[in-house]
Amino acid sequence: MSLARSELQLHRDPTRRMVGFLIGAMVYLAALAVTGGLMVGTTINRWSDDLRGNLTVQLPGVTAAGAAEATGRIDTVVSTLLETQGVAGARALPRRELLSLLERWLGRGNIPDDLPIPALIDVTLEPGVRIDLDDLQRRLAREVPGARISDNGIVLDRLVRLAHSVQAAALAIVLLVGLAAVAIITFVTRAGLAMHHETIELLHLIGARNNYIARQFVRHVVGVALVGGILGLLAAAGTILGLARVAADIDVFRWPTISLADPQLVALLTLPLVAAVIAMVTARLTVAGALRRLP
Amino acid sequence: MRFCATRGAPEFVLVVRFEHVGLRYENGPNVLDDVSFTLEPGSFHFLTGPSGAGKTSLLKLMYLAQRPTKGRIVMFDRDVTAAKRRDLPGLRRRIGVVFQDFRLLNHLTALENVALPLRIAGAKRRQIEAHVSELLAWVGLSGQLEAKPPTLSDGEKQRVAIARAVIGRPRLLLADEPTGNIDLDQGLRVLRLFEELNKIGTTVVIATHDRSLVSTIRLPELRLAEGRLTVHQPARAQPTEGSTRAVPSRGGL
Repeated sequence: MSLARSELQLHRDPTRRMVGFLIGAMVYLAALAVTGGLMVGTTINRWSDDLRGNLTVQLPGVTAAGAAEATGRIDTVVSTLLETQGVAGARALPRRELLSLLERWLGRGNIPDDLPIPALIDVTLEPGVRIDLDDLQRRLAREVPGARISDNGIVLDRLVRLAHSVQAAALAIVLLVGLAAVAIITFVTRAGLAMHHETIELLHLIGARNNYIARQFVRHVVGVALVGGILGLLAAAGTILGLARVAADIDVFRWPTISLADPQLVALLTLPLVAAVIAMVTARLTVAGALRRLP
Repeated sequence: MRFCATRGAPEFVLVVRFEHVGLRYENGPNVLDDVSFTLEPGSFHFLTGPSGAGKTSLLKLMYLAQRPTKGRIVMFDRDVTAAKRRDLPGLRRRIGVVFQDFRLLNHLTALENVALPLRIAGAKRRQIEAHVSELLAWVGLSGQLEAKPPTLSDGEKQRVAIARAVIGRPRLLLADEPTGNIDLDQGLRVLRLFEELNKIGTTVVIATHDRSLVSTIRLPELRLAEGRLTVHQPARAQPTEGSTRAVPSRGGL
């Protein structure tokens, strides 16, 4: 004596494999997008920490003779810096200190008076405040032509901005993939409703509540989404590990590192569950909508 | 087969009451014009009329597969024309239907088909198994529990369909041409089954255009013609107005 698990036998539907594959592909794409976003996020944090410390502003070099005249320009830059929000302090390095730095290379007393030496201003930033360096650079150059912030800071600042755009794109991909999953589940549920309409009508007529019918669809699509999602996630893990191996050979300053050990990547494990929840809600709503049309 | 009769306070006073019910399908002519009648608990009726008179439509209204275009329908003392959707499944479970085309699910075994109403009602697995195999044995299908409908003869399919209609101990049993695919002898067997159910209080309506069946058994008749319904008592019984509580005569069986 055996009783079938469900009347609709949706697991025999030909759409099952295709939907499993599509959900798997979506979870794969979402996993890569999430990994990319998280990696970029970690890198941004590191870069931001660097930016938070201090900056150096450089003024065009002057000879010993012009040093007195340059003092005014240095003072202008320092006061501009001090007026800038986020700047905790600005200190011009005395010419003497600069000379002693150079003497290490050129030898004591070997620096001619007519050698132009740039003025350097050491800027301390307030912790936790981000400064628009491009804007600051423009303002300084207006006050004192030739004043510029050391390249490192500017490039990092631009990279951080790029990283934020990459993160936004990753988020957009994840959302798009989610919407596509909703569309797929809606489509396949409608197909199932059409394919089994006689059975559904009969169940309805002999007193099945909407829940009873919806449950069979939900159980089916959740199962398919979970299996497809887990396979997609495994494929993504393979890809990430592969990329990590290739990336491990690159040794560049602050190059983003990929590692599945990153605790943030635990978020990836929820992707098949997210796919299952999307499938559950979508199927339930689709079936409820269709059953509302029955008498 | 034990159908234990539980006769306490009646659950309801009226099983079915139609008040000036009309039905037309979209853009079509009126199928039913102005139909009024009442079925009391424990009554047993034939529903007759020429083909196309609307017998199936009338049954559909009774098993809540169709809403009337006008008039009021009361089932088990509840106005179903005004009932909320979520209350309908509960009412449908009190109704057993033998569809003209059986409507068995071909991918399920005879046993699973008959078990459907119990599963839907949330019965326990062990309960289902005991009841279903007992009932299938009673309709003579103990050898075909695991057979799927496509392998069954029409007569066997019909018995599966009947078993499914009665497994939930319905208060109202509706059968659409239940003897259409079988010979008179088998037809009478089927009727005897319905009679058993009727004896324990189930209200039965059998739609048929088979005059030989109607003339064999003396039962009150709901006669449909040109969208209207009239109630006819068998020749020897006392005629009543619109409402009947007929006990079927066993003389013909």
